[in-house]
Amino acid sequence: MNQKKILYLTLIFWLLIFSGFIAYKEYTLRTGTEVVLKTLPVDPRDLFRGDYVTLNYEISTLDMEQLQAEDSYFYYGDPVYLALELKNGYGIPKKIYTTPPENELYIKGRINDIIYDWEAEGEAIKELRVDYGIESYFVPEGRGIEIEKQQTGRKEVDAKIIIDKYGNAVIKSLLIDGKPF
Amino acid sequence: MFDHDLIRKWLDEGTINHAQAEKMRADLEEYKTEHRSKKQIIAFSTIGAILIGIGAILFVASNWEKIGDTFRIILLAGSTVGIHYAGYHLRYENRKYPRLGFALLFLSALFFGVSLFLIAQIYNINANNSTLVLIWFFGAFPLIYGYRSTAVAELCSLLFYLWIGLLYSERSDLHELINILDLYLISGIALYFTGTLHELSEKVEHAAAAFKFMGLQAVLLVLFIHTFGSWDSNGKEIVPAIYALLGILFLAVLLSKPLRSRLTGFQIDMSMAAISFLMVGITLTAIYSPVPQEAYMGFFNIVFLGLLVLLLYAGYSTEDIGTINTAMFWFIPLIFARYFDFFWELLPRSFFFILGGLVLLTISVVLERKRRELKAQFAGVKQ
Repeated sequence: MNQKKILYLTLIFWLLIFSGFIAYKEYTLRTGTEVVLKTLPVDPRDLFRGDYVTLNYEISTLDMEQLQAEDSYFYYGDPVYLALELKNGYGIPKKIYTTPPENELYIKGRINDIIYDWEAEGEAIKELRVDYGIESYFVPEGRGIEIEKQQTGRKEVDAKIIIDKYGNAVIKSLLIDGKPF
Repeated sequence: MFDHDLIRKWLDEGTINHAQAEKMRADLEEYKTEHRSKKQIIAFSTIGAILIGIGAILFVASNWEKIGDTFRIILLAGSTVGIHYAGYHLRYENRKYPRLGFALLFLSALFFGVSLFLIAQIYNINANNSTLVLIWFFGAFPLIYGYRSTAVAELCSLLFYLWIGLLYSERSDLHELINILDLYLISGIALYFTGTLHELSEKVEHAAAAFKFMGLQAVLLVLFIHTFGSWDSNGKEIVPAIYALLGILFLAVLLSKPLRSRLTGFQIDMSMAAISFLMVGITLTAIYSPVPQEAYMGFFNIVFLGLLVLLLYAGYSTEDIGTINTAMFWFIPLIFARYFDFFWELLPRSFFFILGGLVLLTISVVLERKRRELKAQFAGVKQ
Protein backbone atom coordinates (compact mmCIF):
# COMPACT_ATOMS: atom_id res chain seq x y z
CA MET A 1 0.00 0.00 0.00
CA ASN A 2 1.48 3.38 -0.91
CA GLN A 3 1.67 6.35 1.48
CA LYS A 4 -1.06 8.32 -0.30
CA LYS A 5 -3.54 5.47 0.26
CA ILE A 6 -2.50 5.26 3.93
CA LEU A 7 -3.10 9.02 4.30
CA TYR A 8 -6.61 8.83 2.80
CA LEU A 9 -7.53 5.67 4.72
CA THR A 10 -6.37 7.18 8.04
CA LEU A 11 -8.27 10.43 7.50
CA ILE A 12 -11.44 8.60 6.35
CA PHE A 13 -11.17 6.23 9.37
CA TRP A 14 -10.78 9.13 11.81
CA LEU A 15 -13.60 11.20 10.25
CA LEU A 16 -15.87 8.12 10.30
CA ILE A 17 -15.20 7.70 14.04
CA PHE A 18 -15.94 11.39 14.70
CA SER A 19 -19.09 11.50 12.56
CA GLY A 20 -20.32 8.08 13.79
CA PHE A 21 -19.96 9.25 17.35
CA ILE A 22 -21.81 12.51 16.66
CA ALA A 23 -24.54 10.83 14.56
CA TYR A 24 -25.19 8.23 17.29
CA LYS A 25 -25.73 10.89 19.95
CA GLU A 26 -27.59 13.30 17.62
CA TYR A 27 -30.05 10.53 16.69
CA THR A 28 -30.98 10.19 20.38
CA LEU A 29 -31.22 13.96 20.86
CA ARG A 30 -33.37 14.55 17.75
CA THR A 31 -35.72 11.54 17.94
CA GLY A 32 -35.97 10.86 21.67
CA THR A 33 -38.44 11.73 24.41
CA GLU A 34 -37.60 14.44 26.94
CA VAL A 35 -37.60 13.28 30.57
CA VAL A 36 -36.55 15.10 33.74
CA LEU A 37 -34.71 13.07 36.39
CA LYS A 38 -33.91 14.05 39.99
CA THR A 39 -30.19 14.13 40.87
CA LEU A 40 -27.59 14.49 43.66
CA PRO A 41 -24.41 16.14 42.24
CA VAL A 42 -20.76 16.43 43.38
CA ASP A 43 -17.72 18.02 41.64
CA PRO A 44 -14.79 15.83 40.57
CA ARG A 45 -12.49 16.22 37.52
CA ASP A 46 -11.84 14.09 34.44
CA LEU A 47 -8.27 13.53 33.24
CA PHE A 48 -8.85 14.84 29.70
CA ARG A 49 -12.12 16.70 29.86
CA GLY A 50 -11.92 18.94 32.92
CA ASP A 51 -14.63 19.77 35.45
CA TYR A 52 -17.79 17.74 35.52
CA VAL A 53 -20.65 17.02 37.86
CA THR A 54 -21.29 13.43 38.89
CA LEU A 55 -25.01 12.83 38.65
CA ASN A 56 -26.46 10.26 40.97
CA TYR A 57 -30.09 9.83 39.89
CA GLU A 58 -32.96 8.56 41.97
CA ILE A 59 -33.26 5.80 39.37
CA SER A 60 -29.57 4.90 39.93
CA THR A 61 -30.72 2.85 42.93
CA LEU A 62 -33.67 0.57 42.23
CA ASP A 63 -35.56 -0.73 45.24
CA MET A 64 -36.56 -4.30 44.39
CA GLU A 65 -39.13 -4.40 47.17
CA GLN A 66 -40.99 -1.41 45.74
CA LEU A 67 -40.54 -1.95 42.01
CA GLN A 68 -41.99 -4.61 39.74
CA ALA A 69 -39.32 -6.68 37.98
CA GLU A 70 -39.55 -9.10 35.06
CA ASP A 71 -37.03 -11.38 36.80
CA SER A 72 -35.85 -11.68 40.42
CA TYR A 73 -32.29 -12.81 39.55
CA PHE A 74 -29.76 -10.30 38.33
CA TYR A 75 -25.99 -10.46 37.95
CA TYR A 76 -23.25 -7.86 37.96
CA GLY A 77 -22.82 -6.29 34.51
CA ASP A 78 -26.24 -7.44 33.22
CA PRO A 79 -28.12 -4.98 31.02
CA VAL A 80 -31.44 -3.78 32.44
CA TYR A 81 -34.27 -1.82 30.83
CA LEU A 82 -36.19 0.45 33.20
CA ALA A 83 -39.68 1.41 32.01
CA LEU A 84 -40.54 5.01 32.93
CA GLU A 85 -43.84 6.74 33.45
CA LEU A 86 -44.00 10.49 32.76
CA LYS A 87 -45.56 12.60 35.54
CA ASN A 88 -45.34 16.39 35.02
CA GLY A 89 -42.32 15.77 32.78
CA TYR A 90 -40.51 13.73 35.46
CA GLY A 91 -39.57 10.13 34.69
CA ILE A 92 -40.88 7.81 37.41
CA PRO A 93 -39.65 4.17 37.45
CA LYS A 94 -42.40 1.69 36.59
CA LYS A 95 -40.93 -1.78 35.94
CA ILE A 96 -37.52 -3.41 35.46
CA TYR A 97 -37.09 -5.56 32.35
CA THR A 98 -34.26 -7.85 31.31
CA THR A 99 -35.14 -7.44 27.61
CA PRO A 100 -36.31 -4.24 25.88
CA PRO A 101 -40.08 -3.80 26.52
CA GLU A 102 -42.43 -3.02 23.65
CA ASN A 103 -44.59 0.11 23.43
CA GLU A 104 -43.11 1.63 26.59
CA LEU A 105 -40.72 4.47 27.30
CA TYR A 106 -37.61 2.86 28.80
CA ILE A 107 -34.00 3.70 29.62
CA LYS A 108 -31.16 1.21 29.10
CA GLY A 109 -28.65 0.65 31.92
CA ARG A 110 -26.08 -1.81 33.26
CA ILE A 111 -25.95 -3.22 36.80
CA ASN A 112 -22.85 -2.04 38.67
CA ASP A 113 -23.75 -3.30 42.15
CA ILE A 114 -26.24 -5.63 43.82
CA ILE A 115 -27.33 -5.23 47.46
CA TYR A 116 -28.75 -8.41 48.98
CA ASP A 117 -31.30 -8.62 51.77
CA TRP A 118 -29.40 -10.84 54.22
CA GLU A 119 -32.37 -11.09 56.59
CA ALA A 120 -34.59 -12.66 53.95
CA GLU A 121 -34.46 -16.37 53.09
CA GLY A 122 -32.35 -17.32 50.09
CA GLU A 123 -30.48 -14.77 47.98
CA ALA A 124 -33.13 -12.05 47.83
CA ILE A 125 -32.00 -8.85 46.09
CA LYS A 126 -32.82 -5.70 48.01
CA GLU A 127 -31.42 -3.02 45.68
CA LEU A 128 -29.84 -2.74 42.24
CA ARG A 129 -27.33 0.01 41.51
CA VAL A 130 -27.50 0.85 37.80
CA ASP A 131 -25.38 3.01 35.44
CA TYR A 132 -27.18 4.58 32.47
CA GLY A 133 -24.15 6.22 30.80
CA ILE A 134 -25.44 9.68 31.78
CA GLU A 135 -23.70 10.06 35.14
CA SER A 136 -21.37 12.92 34.10
CA TYR A 137 -22.30 16.48 33.15
CA PHE A 138 -19.37 18.59 31.92
CA VAL A 139 -19.24 22.24 32.93
CA PRO A 140 -16.85 25.14 32.16
CA GLU A 141 -13.76 25.17 34.41
CA GLY A 142 -14.56 26.10 38.01
CA ARG A 143 -18.36 26.16 37.56
CA GLY A 144 -18.89 22.71 39.06
CA ILE A 145 -18.53 24.32 42.49
CA GLU A 146 -21.54 26.59 41.70
CA ILE A 147 -23.73 23.54 41.24
CA GLU A 148 -22.38 22.03 44.44
CA LYS A 149 -23.28 25.26 46.29
CA GLN A 150 -26.79 25.22 44.80
CA GLN A 151 -27.15 21.66 46.05
CA THR A 152 -25.98 22.51 49.58
CA GLY A 153 -28.30 25.55 49.44
CA ARG A 154 -31.15 23.02 49.26
CA LYS A 155 -32.03 23.88 45.67
CA GLU A 156 -33.41 21.13 43.47
CA VAL A 157 -30.96 19.98 40.79
CA ASP A 158 -32.55 17.96 37.98
CA ALA A 159 -31.23 16.69 34.67
CA LYS A 160 -33.16 17.01 31.42
CA ILE A 161 -32.56 13.78 29.52
CA ILE A 162 -33.47 12.70 25.99
CA ILE A 163 -34.18 8.98 25.57
CA ASP A 164 -34.53 7.40 22.11
CA LYS A 165 -36.66 4.37 21.22
CA TYR A 166 -33.74 1.99 21.89
CA GLY A 167 -33.38 3.24 25.48
CA ASN A 168 -30.17 5.25 24.81
CA ALA A 169 -30.04 8.45 26.83
CA VAL A 170 -28.20 11.77 26.43
CA ILE A 171 -28.16 14.66 28.91
CA LYS A 172 -29.60 17.79 27.33
CA SER A 173 -29.22 20.23 30.22
CA LEU A 174 -29.08 20.63 33.97
CA LEU A 175 -31.96 22.38 35.75
CA ILE A 176 -31.59 24.18 39.07
CA ASP A 177 -34.98 24.79 40.63
CA GLY A 178 -36.48 24.18 37.17
CA LYS A 179 -34.25 26.77 35.42
CA PRO A 180 -31.45 25.77 32.96
CA PHE A 181 -27.92 25.99 34.45
CA MET B 1 32.13 3.41 11.42
CA PHE B 2 35.64 4.09 12.73
CA ASP B 3 37.15 6.50 15.25
CA HIS B 4 40.23 8.72 15.46
CA ASP B 5 42.31 6.04 17.28
CA LEU B 6 41.69 3.60 14.48
CA ILE B 7 42.64 6.17 11.83
CA ARG B 8 45.88 6.86 13.74
CA LYS B 9 46.58 3.11 13.96
CA TRP B 10 46.05 2.65 10.19
CA LEU B 11 48.28 5.64 9.55
CA ASP B 12 51.06 4.24 11.78
CA GLU B 13 50.80 0.83 10.13
CA GLY B 14 50.96 2.40 6.70
CA THR B 15 47.54 1.06 5.70
CA ILE B 16 46.48 4.59 4.73
CA ASN B 17 48.47 7.73 3.81
CA HIS B 18 48.17 11.24 5.34
CA ALA B 19 45.78 12.51 2.68
CA GLN B 20 43.46 9.55 3.20
CA ALA B 21 43.66 9.97 6.99
CA GLU B 22 42.72 13.66 6.71
CA LYS B 23 39.80 12.83 4.43
CA MET B 24 38.60 10.14 6.89
CA ARG B 25 38.86 12.55 9.84
CA ALA B 26 36.91 15.24 7.98
CA ASP B 27 34.20 12.74 6.98
CA LEU B 28 34.03 11.42 10.55
CA GLU B 29 33.52 14.94 11.96
CA GLU B 30 30.87 15.70 9.35
CA TYR B 31 29.04 12.44 10.13
CA LYS B 32 29.11 13.13 13.89
CA THR B 33 27.80 16.69 13.45
CA GLU B 34 24.99 15.55 11.17
CA HIS B 35 24.05 12.68 13.50
CA ARG B 36 23.94 15.03 16.51
CA SER B 37 21.87 17.60 14.62
CA LYS B 38 19.37 14.90 13.50
CA LYS B 39 18.90 13.81 17.11
CA GLN B 40 18.37 17.42 18.23
CA ILE B 41 15.73 18.01 15.53
CA ILE B 42 13.87 14.83 16.55
CA ALA B 43 14.01 15.79 20.24
CA PHE B 44 12.86 19.39 19.72
CA SER B 45 10.08 18.56 17.26
CA THR B 46 8.73 15.70 19.43
CA ILE B 47 8.78 17.86 22.59
CA GLY B 48 7.06 20.63 20.59
CA ALA B 49 4.36 18.19 19.44
CA ILE B 50 3.81 16.97 23.00
CA LEU B 51 3.51 20.55 24.31
CA ILE B 52 0.95 21.48 21.63
CA GLY B 53 -0.94 18.24 22.40
CA ILE B 54 -1.02 19.11 26.13
CA GLY B 55 -2.24 22.62 25.22
CA ALA B 56 -5.06 21.14 23.14
CA ILE B 57 -6.06 18.79 26.01
CA LEU B 58 -6.17 21.78 28.39
CA PHE B 59 -8.24 23.71 25.83
CA VAL B 60 -10.82 20.89 25.84
CA ALA B 61 -10.63 20.52 29.63
CA SER B 62 -11.41 24.22 30.19
CA ASN B 63 -14.72 23.67 28.30
CA TRP B 64 -14.69 27.29 27.16
CA GLU B 65 -18.35 28.28 26.78
CA LYS B 66 -17.67 31.35 24.62
CA ILE B 67 -17.09 29.14 21.56
CA GLY B 68 -20.06 27.10 20.29
CA ASP B 69 -19.93 23.29 20.26
CA THR B 70 -20.09 23.02 16.45
CA PHE B 71 -17.26 25.52 15.98
CA ARG B 72 -15.12 23.73 18.58
CA ILE B 73 -15.62 20.36 16.85
CA ILE B 74 -14.78 21.88 13.44
CA LEU B 75 -11.74 23.60 14.96
CA LEU B 76 -10.28 20.48 16.55
CA ALA B 77 -11.31 17.90 13.90
CA GLY B 78 -10.12 20.32 11.19
CA SER B 79 -6.81 20.82 13.02
CA THR B 80 -6.42 17.02 13.30
CA VAL B 81 -6.88 16.55 9.55
CA GLY B 82 -4.76 19.61 8.71
CA ILE B 83 -1.86 18.62 10.97
CA HIS B 84 -1.97 15.06 9.66
CA TYR B 85 -1.88 16.23 6.05
CA ALA B 86 0.92 18.74 6.82
CA GLY B 87 2.93 15.93 8.43
CA TYR B 88 2.36 13.67 5.44
CA HIS B 89 3.28 16.44 3.00
CA LEU B 90 6.54 17.33 4.79
CA ARG B 91 7.53 13.70 5.23
CA TYR B 92 6.59 12.14 1.88
CA GLU B 93 5.88 14.86 -0.72
CA ASN B 94 8.03 17.87 0.09
CA ARG B 95 10.72 15.72 1.82
CA LYS B 96 12.63 18.83 2.95
CA TYR B 97 11.54 18.49 6.60
CA PRO B 98 11.01 14.73 7.13
CA ARG B 99 11.63 14.83 10.91
CA LEU B 100 9.21 17.71 11.41
CA GLY B 101 6.75 15.73 9.27
CA PHE B 102 7.11 12.76 11.63
CA ALA B 103 6.50 15.00 14.65
CA LEU B 104 3.35 16.44 13.02
CA LEU B 105 2.01 12.93 12.26
CA PHE B 106 2.53 12.12 15.95
CA LEU B 107 0.82 15.39 16.91
CA SER B 108 -2.17 14.47 14.71
CA ALA B 109 -2.52 11.19 16.68
CA LEU B 110 -2.68 13.32 19.88
CA PHE B 111 -5.21 15.67 18.25
CA PHE B 112 -7.34 12.69 17.20
CA GLY B 113 -7.71 11.74 20.88
CA VAL B 114 -8.31 15.34 21.92
CA SER B 115 -11.10 15.72 19.32
CA LEU B 116 -12.63 12.46 20.49
CA PHE B 117 -12.67 13.67 24.11
CA LEU B 118 -14.17 17.01 23.02
CA ILE B 119 -17.07 15.23 21.28
CA ALA B 120 -17.51 13.02 24.36
CA GLN B 121 -17.54 16.14 26.54
CA ILE B 122 -20.18 17.86 24.40
CA TYR B 123 -22.49 14.82 24.65
CA ASN B 124 -21.70 14.32 28.37
CA ILE B 125 -20.41 10.76 27.90
CA ASN B 126 -19.40 9.42 31.32
CA ALA B 127 -16.08 10.67 32.71
CA ASN B 128 -12.96 8.44 32.85
CA ASN B 129 -14.55 6.16 30.27
CA SER B 130 -12.22 3.30 29.23
CA THR B 131 -13.94 2.87 25.84
CA LEU B 132 -12.89 6.36 24.73
CA VAL B 133 -9.24 5.55 25.46
CA LEU B 134 -9.65 2.27 23.54
CA ILE B 135 -11.07 4.13 20.50
CA TRP B 136 -8.13 6.58 20.70
CA PHE B 137 -5.76 3.57 20.82
CA PHE B 138 -7.38 1.97 17.74
CA GLY B 139 -7.42 5.30 15.90
CA ALA B 140 -3.70 5.92 16.49
CA PHE B 141 -2.54 2.29 16.12
CA PRO B 142 -2.47 2.12 12.25
CA LEU B 143 0.01 5.03 12.20
CA ILE B 144 2.66 2.80 13.80
CA TYR B 145 2.75 0.68 10.64
CA GLY B 146 1.42 3.10 8.01
CA TYR B 147 4.08 5.72 8.73
CA ARG B 148 6.58 3.58 10.69
CA SER B 149 6.19 5.87 13.72
CA THR B 150 7.92 4.80 16.93
CA ALA B 151 6.54 7.84 18.81
CA VAL B 152 2.99 6.63 18.07
CA ALA B 153 4.03 3.12 19.21
CA GLU B 154 5.00 4.64 22.58
CA LEU B 155 1.77 6.66 22.69
CA CYS B 156 -0.27 3.50 21.98
CA SER B 157 1.60 1.65 24.75
CA LEU B 158 0.69 4.43 27.22
CA LEU B 159 -2.93 4.40 26.02
CA PHE B 160 -2.98 0.61 26.48
CA TYR B 161 -1.86 0.96 30.12
CA LEU B 162 -4.33 3.80 30.71
CA TRP B 163 -7.18 1.75 29.21
CA ILE B 164 -6.34 -1.18 31.49
CA GLY B 165 -6.36 1.08 34.57
CA LEU B 166 -9.68 2.70 33.67
CA LEU B 167 -11.28 -0.62 32.75
CA TYR B 168 -10.15 -2.06 36.09
CA SER B 169 -11.67 0.88 37.98
CA GLU B 170 -14.94 0.54 36.02
CA ARG B 171 -15.36 -3.23 36.36
CA SER B 172 -15.46 -4.31 39.99
CA ASP B 173 -15.89 -7.97 38.88
CA LEU B 174 -12.29 -7.83 37.60
CA HIS B 175 -11.10 -7.12 41.17
CA GLU B 176 -12.12 -10.61 42.24
CA LEU B 177 -10.39 -12.21 39.26
CA ILE B 178 -6.98 -10.52 39.35
CA ASN B 179 -5.24 -7.79 41.34
CA ILE B 180 -4.14 -4.61 39.57
CA LEU B 181 -0.41 -5.33 39.97
CA ASP B 182 -0.73 -8.74 38.33
CA LEU B 183 -2.78 -7.16 35.55
CA TYR B 184 -0.07 -4.58 34.86
CA LEU B 185 2.73 -7.15 35.14
CA ILE B 186 0.96 -9.40 32.63
CA SER B 187 0.34 -6.37 30.37
CA GLY B 188 4.01 -5.34 30.61
CA ILE B 189 5.26 -8.84 29.75
CA ALA B 190 2.70 -9.12 26.92
CA LEU B 191 3.76 -5.74 25.52
CA TYR B 192 7.42 -6.77 25.72
CA PHE B 193 6.53 -10.01 23.90
CA THR B 194 4.74 -7.96 21.22
CA GLY B 195 8.02 -6.06 20.80
CA THR B 196 9.93 -9.35 20.52
CA LEU B 197 7.52 -10.56 17.81
CA HIS B 198 8.04 -7.29 15.92
CA GLU B 199 11.77 -8.03 15.72
CA LEU B 200 11.01 -11.13 13.65
CA SER B 201 9.83 -9.17 10.63
CA GLU B 202 11.81 -6.43 8.90
CA LYS B 203 8.60 -4.65 7.91
CA VAL B 204 7.59 -3.93 11.50
CA GLU B 205 10.87 -4.09 13.44
CA HIS B 206 10.94 -0.27 13.76
CA ALA B 207 8.28 -0.58 16.51
CA ALA B 208 10.06 -3.38 18.42
CA ALA B 209 12.27 -1.19 20.61
CA ALA B 210 9.35 1.08 21.63
CA PHE B 211 7.12 -1.84 22.67
CA LYS B 212 9.96 -3.60 24.47
CA PHE B 213 10.98 -0.44 26.32
CA MET B 214 7.43 0.35 27.46
CA GLY B 215 6.81 -3.29 28.42
CA LEU B 216 10.05 -3.48 30.40
CA GLN B 217 9.24 -0.28 32.34
CA ALA B 218 5.86 -1.69 33.45
CA VAL B 219 7.52 -4.99 34.51
CA LEU B 220 10.18 -3.13 36.51
CA LEU B 221 7.66 -0.78 38.12
CA VAL B 222 5.40 -3.64 39.27
CA LEU B 223 8.33 -5.72 40.55
CA PHE B 224 9.64 -2.65 42.40
CA ILE B 225 6.24 -2.13 44.08
CA HIS B 226 6.26 -5.81 45.04
CA THR B 227 9.63 -5.35 46.80
CA PHE B 228 7.73 -3.44 49.52
CA GLY B 229 5.79 -6.60 50.37
CA SER B 230 2.53 -5.38 48.90
CA TRP B 231 1.62 -8.80 47.52
CA ASP B 232 -2.12 -9.38 47.55
CA SER B 233 -3.01 -13.00 46.87
CA ASN B 234 -6.65 -12.54 45.90
CA GLY B 235 -6.20 -13.78 42.31
CA LYS B 236 -8.01 -16.74 40.76
CA GLU B 237 -6.51 -19.75 38.93
CA ILE B 238 -6.72 -17.88 35.63
CA VAL B 239 -3.78 -15.64 36.73
CA PRO B 240 -1.09 -18.40 36.86
CA ALA B 241 -2.56 -19.81 33.63
CA ILE B 242 -2.01 -16.46 31.85
CA TYR B 243 1.56 -16.21 33.21
CA ALA B 244 2.22 -19.77 32.02
CA LEU B 245 0.83 -19.00 28.57
CA LEU B 246 3.09 -15.94 28.27
CA GLY B 247 6.13 -17.97 29.38
CA ILE B 248 5.35 -20.72 26.85
CA LEU B 249 4.89 -18.15 24.05
CA PHE B 250 8.29 -16.65 24.88
CA LEU B 251 9.94 -20.08 24.88
CA ALA B 252 8.29 -20.99 21.56
CA VAL B 253 10.04 -18.02 19.96
CA LEU B 254 13.31 -18.20 21.91
CA LEU B 255 13.92 -21.93 21.58
CA SER B 256 13.40 -21.94 17.82
CA LYS B 257 16.86 -21.39 16.28
CA PRO B 258 15.73 -19.65 13.06
CA LEU B 259 13.53 -17.25 15.03
CA ARG B 260 16.07 -16.67 17.80
CA SER B 261 18.75 -15.65 15.32
CA ARG B 262 16.66 -12.59 14.35
CA LEU B 263 16.37 -11.29 17.93
CA THR B 264 18.71 -8.67 19.36
CA GLY B 265 18.14 -8.97 23.11
CA PHE B 266 18.09 -12.68 23.83
CA GLN B 267 19.10 -12.41 27.53
CA ILE B 268 16.35 -9.91 28.41
CA ASP B 269 13.79 -11.83 26.33
CA MET B 270 14.74 -14.98 28.25
CA SER B 271 14.47 -13.13 31.57
CA MET B 272 10.87 -12.16 30.70
CA ALA B 273 10.09 -15.84 30.13
CA ALA B 274 11.76 -16.64 33.47
CA ILE B 275 9.70 -13.95 35.26
CA SER B 276 6.50 -15.37 33.71
CA PHE B 277 7.32 -18.85 35.03
CA LEU B 278 8.38 -17.50 38.45
CA MET B 279 5.03 -15.71 38.66
CA VAL B 280 3.25 -18.98 37.81
CA GLY B 281 4.93 -20.49 40.87
CA ILE B 282 4.27 -17.59 43.21
CA THR B 283 0.62 -17.09 42.19
CA LEU B 284 -0.03 -20.84 42.58
CA THR B 285 1.66 -20.72 46.02
CA ALA B 286 -0.46 -17.71 46.97
CA ILE B 287 -3.67 -19.52 45.96
CA TYR B 288 -3.02 -22.99 47.38
CA SER B 289 -0.39 -22.62 50.10
CA PRO B 290 0.09 -18.99 51.16
CA VAL B 291 3.34 -18.08 52.93
CA PRO B 292 4.05 -15.01 55.16
CA GLN B 293 4.29 -11.55 53.52
CA GLU B 294 8.01 -11.36 54.37
CA ALA B 295 8.70 -14.38 52.15
CA TYR B 296 7.02 -12.72 49.14
CA MET B 297 8.90 -9.50 49.92
CA GLY B 298 12.25 -11.32 50.01
CA PHE B 299 11.44 -13.19 46.81
CA PHE B 300 10.53 -10.04 44.88
CA ASN B 301 13.62 -8.21 46.13
CA ILE B 302 15.79 -11.03 44.79
CA VAL B 303 13.89 -11.15 41.48
CA PHE B 304 14.05 -7.35 41.02
CA LEU B 305 17.73 -7.15 41.88
CA GLY B 306 18.47 -10.16 39.68
CA LEU B 307 16.66 -8.57 36.76
CA LEU B 308 18.58 -5.30 37.17
CA VAL B 309 21.91 -7.14 37.24
CA LEU B 310 20.88 -9.13 34.17
CA LEU B 311 19.87 -5.91 32.38
CA LEU B 312 23.30 -4.45 33.14
CA TYR B 313 24.99 -7.60 31.87
CA ALA B 314 22.77 -7.74 28.76
CA GLY B 315 23.27 -4.03 28.09
CA TYR B 316 27.03 -4.44 28.40
CA SER B 317 27.23 -7.55 26.20
CA THR B 318 24.98 -6.10 23.46
CA GLU B 319 26.50 -2.61 23.82
CA ASP B 320 23.07 -1.12 24.38
CA ILE B 321 23.38 2.06 26.46
CA GLY B 322 19.56 2.32 26.69
CA THR B 323 19.30 -0.95 28.63
CA ILE B 324 22.15 0.10 30.94
CA ASN B 325 20.45 3.46 31.59
CA THR B 326 17.19 1.64 32.43
CA ALA B 327 18.95 -0.66 34.91
CA MET B 328 20.82 2.21 36.56
CA PHE B 329 17.67 4.32 36.74
CA TRP B 330 15.86 1.56 38.68
CA PHE B 331 18.84 0.83 40.95
CA ILE B 332 18.45 4.26 42.62
CA PRO B 333 14.87 3.85 43.96
CA LEU B 334 15.68 0.28 45.05
CA ILE B 335 18.71 1.37 47.09
CA PHE B 336 16.76 4.34 48.45
CA ALA B 337 13.76 2.21 49.49
CA ARG B 338 15.83 -0.54 51.13
CA TYR B 339 17.99 2.03 52.95
CA PHE B 340 14.83 3.52 54.48
CA ASP B 341 13.44 0.03 55.29
CA PHE B 342 16.52 -1.21 57.11
CA PHE B 343 18.02 1.85 58.82
CA TRP B 344 15.03 4.10 59.70
CA GLU B 345 14.62 2.46 63.10
CA LEU B 346 18.33 1.83 63.76
CA LEU B 347 19.99 5.24 63.30
CA PRO B 348 19.34 8.61 64.97
CA ARG B 349 17.45 10.84 62.46
CA SER B 350 20.28 13.30 61.78
CA PHE B 351 22.81 10.49 61.10
CA PHE B 352 20.20 8.67 59.04
CA PHE B 353 19.75 11.55 56.60
CA ILE B 354 23.42 12.60 56.47
CA LEU B 355 24.59 9.03 55.92
CA GLY B 356 21.77 8.37 53.42
CA GLY B 357 22.65 11.50 51.48
CA LEU B 358 26.35 10.57 51.37
CA VAL B 359 25.57 6.99 50.28
CA LEU B 360 23.29 8.22 47.49
CA LEU B 361 25.76 10.86 46.31
CA THR B 362 28.55 8.27 46.19
CA ILE B 363 26.34 5.80 44.33
CA SER B 364 25.20 8.44 41.83
CA VAL B 365 28.83 9.48 41.17
CA VAL B 366 29.89 5.85 40.66
CA LEU B 367 26.90 5.03 38.44
CA GLU B 368 27.29 8.19 36.36
CA ARG B 369 31.01 7.59 35.87
CA LYS B 370 30.44 3.96 34.90
CA ARG B 371 27.62 4.94 32.54
CA ARG B 372 29.82 7.56 30.85
CA GLU B 373 32.67 5.08 30.51
CA LEU B 374 30.39 2.50 28.91
CA LYS B 375 28.84 5.08 26.58
CA ALA B 376 32.26 6.24 25.43
CA GLN B 377 33.40 2.64 25.05
CA PHE B 378 30.35 1.64 22.96
CA ALA B 379 30.62 4.77 20.84
CA GLY B 380 34.24 3.96 20.18
CA VAL B 381 33.51 0.36 19.19
CA LYS B 382 30.55 1.28 16.99
CA GLN B 383 32.47 3.96 15.17
